[in-house]
Amino acid sequence: MNGLHHALMRVNLNENTVTREEISEELAEQYLGGTGLGVALLCTEIPSGVDPLGPENEVIIATGPLNGTRVPTSGRFSLVTKSPLTGTIFDSNSGGFWGVWFKTCGFDALVINGKSSSPCYIAIEDQSVTIKDASECWGMDVDATTDFLISQEGKNAKVLCIGPAGENLVKIASIMNDRHRAFGRGGVGAVIGSKNLKALVVKPGKQKVIISDPESLKAFVKTAVDKIIQAPITGRSMPNFGTAGLVNVINTFGLFPINNHQAGASDLANQISGEAIRKQLLVESEACFNCPIGCGRLTKTETMNGKGPEYESVWALGAECGVFDLQQVANANYECNRLGIDTISAGVTIACAMELNQRGIADTGVNFGDGDKIIPLLRQIASREALGNELAEGSFRFASNYNSPQYAMCVKKQELPAYDPRGAQGQGLAYATSNRGGCHLRGFLVGMEILGVPKKIDRFGVAGKADILVRLQNGTRVTDSLVTCKFAEYSIGSDHLSRFLTAVTGKSYSAADLDVIGERIWNLERLFNLREGFSRTDDTLPERFMTEPFEDGPSKGVVVHLQDLLDQYYEVRGWDEMGVPTDQTLEKLSLRRLA
Amino acid sequence: MFAPPEIYEEFRRIGQFLDRRMLISSHAGNISTRHGNKIYIKRRGAMLGDLKPEDVIETGLNDLDSSILISSTETGVHQAIYNATSHLAVVHCHPPHVVALSMIEDDITAIDAEGAFTIKRIPVVSYPHPVGAIESAIYVPPVLQNYPVVCVRSHGIFAGGVTLEEAYMYATIAEEVATIRYLTLLTGKPILTDASERGKFDIW
Repeated sequence: MNGLHHALMRVNLNENTVTREEISEELAEQYLGGTGLGVALLCTEIPSGVDPLGPENEVIIATGPLNGTRVPTSGRFSLVTKSPLTGTIFDSNSGGFWGVWFKTCGFDALVINGKSSSPCYIAIEDQSVTIKDASECWGMDVDATTDFLISQEGKNAKVLCIGPAGENLVKIASIMNDRHRAFGRGGVGAVIGSKNLKALVVKPGKQKVIISDPESLKAFVKTAVDKIIQAPITGRSMPNFGTAGLVNVINTFGLFPINNHQAGASDLANQISGEAIRKQLLVESEACFNCPIGCGRLTKTETMNGKGPEYESVWALGAECGVFDLQQVANANYECNRLGIDTISAGVTIACAMELNQRGIADTGVNFGDGDKIIPLLRQIASREALGNELAEGSFRFASNYNSPQYAMCVKKQELPAYDPRGAQGQGLAYATSNRGGCHLRGFLVGMEILGVPKKIDRFGVAGKADILVRLQNGTRVTDSLVTCKFAEYSIGSDHLSRFLTAVTGKSYSAADLDVIGERIWNLERLFNLREGFSRTDDTLPERFMTEPFEDGPSKGVVVHLQDLLDQYYEVRGWDEMGVPTDQTLEKLSLRRLA
Repeated sequence: MFAPPEIYEEFRRIGQFLDRRMLISSHAGNISTRHGNKIYIKRRGAMLGDLKPEDVIETGLNDLDSSILISSTETGVHQAIYNATSHLAVVHCHPPHVVALSMIEDDITAIDAEGAFTIKRIPVVSYPHPVGAIESAIYVPPVLQNYPVVCVRSHGIFAGGVTLEEAYMYATIAEEVATIRYLTLLTGKPILTDASERGKFDIW
């Protein structure tokens, strides 16, 4: 199938070796690339019960058939591993240029295992992968590491690296890409750190992939770009306000979590909104490779500069902690990026510490609204000092140490993003069933329940939500395997993606075919998690969402009816009542031999 | 056997819209939604413009059950569509301009900007007995795998979507596209701006 090099590189850090392997036609057809390829490899290559921070765990970085083509938003790439935060299979996704340059070197994927005896980094250039010494930059933050490696490898190098948080095995550590972009969630930075791997540096190569039908692709791309540019979300809101354009909208509907999800709206939200960022911080917009949306924001405060904050970050480090000072929130976001910490998990974990203090459960010394204490706490987390050492484990483990896990706003130990499900029932089901724990990018029901894309549905209703969610979840697996950006899907759908894929690969794919591929990947992830001991009891939400309605605001009086939704969901998925795929489902998806 | 109130209410609403826009005759057309391994579908003989709670029937996606006694004549087509596509709702109706153009064209291409932006093209399928389920169940689903709307020549359209409202939207867009095309052709004058030329819809 065209669009791929059909080649992966294995890096064994135990033995300091690099080997090249072929990716079979069958594997490519069934899993496409990106996340799908990574999931297929991880599920078959690492044994059950592997320590996520042990040498046996693998990190798989992969691009897909659409990367580097003229398809809009095709600059993204995926990472798959077993997460130290959740214990689940975990895929993450990042943008920028790193992935496209990696593909030009002649590879579709990089599979890393083992542990280096000393700090190292991986240098990738045209048809070549080399393991190099990183002793000099071990201990540096992300900015310094990036500067150092560019000085070593040349100005055209793109750097993917960890900061001190990853080195210190912080379970909410991220991997930073081009300084400000991230494989943010799940503690994937700690996995890299556990391997003594500081960075992966890539320089553009010369290897091209064959596009089967460039003329058709050109025509399909034209119609897609027209739609992306003309649609209000991708054509106007995101370019003008970035993802933080959501703040005022989500707050208006009463599902903008405040103070560790104790409320769903605040009169102060506008102070940290996309409009406020545009007015007070914006320097210029920025776009990933071949992206007509350009949602990135280069910004500066009175004392710092960087990128963002994104919607989730401005919420987690702001409203969730009761902080509405935009300067403080933006600086905390920059600091997370510099230290290599996930902004969502950091903010929600600190908010948890604030609530335990508020309730007299733990004397954490930090209260809602203490914006000046956020950055010192982030530094403690990254270096695992004082309270930071407890918070470095994430909110669930932290709160559990005080016998109060109910105040950890997480699913499968991963902190939740910025949409309270009491204001969007379907999003609650999406959180509960996400294979990587609390996440909005594994089925964004808010798109329909609040934003009305592709069509508005009753946000408090239950009927039909499971069916819609399954389609959306399958769709995320496809998008992350092609690999394109989910934001483009505010404008274009699987009808476009199937045509892109057909034109690139030369194999005929319909939208329905893509749904089946997505379903296969989702179920394989589920099988991995079942193997690791997860079950229906883990497909749940913080108790607060199911028992404590908001007392006021546009979403008041509502709780999530999770068990009803979950029963529907399992039935739609073709799983039994405990959430195990039935034989019939596995047979349909050609997964029986992997069960 | 009957749909829960939340689902009935949506059927009633969309049924009224189809009737008011004259996309069906009084007792024609049918609509359905999929929920896991079951579907809800309009009862045979019921008027879409005046649906009662007992007019929305639950039946299986694959299994034959006694609901077939009262469910829509075209239940089999709806089942086949759900089995072959990722649609979660289907609207079947008889928009006059789409059906009229299907008599003379093999596919109906949008020449207006709105239609070009949304559905681009309505493929037309043709077979000897277009009214009823058996052949429609063979010819319609493959097209709906890649298009939101398909027209059965001299009969009507099937439109799919994530929700009933979305499928209804595609049905109305199809009729709008066909109406504009029909009226424009009727003038006999050359088209100054054909939106379909921009995106090369012959390959879409």
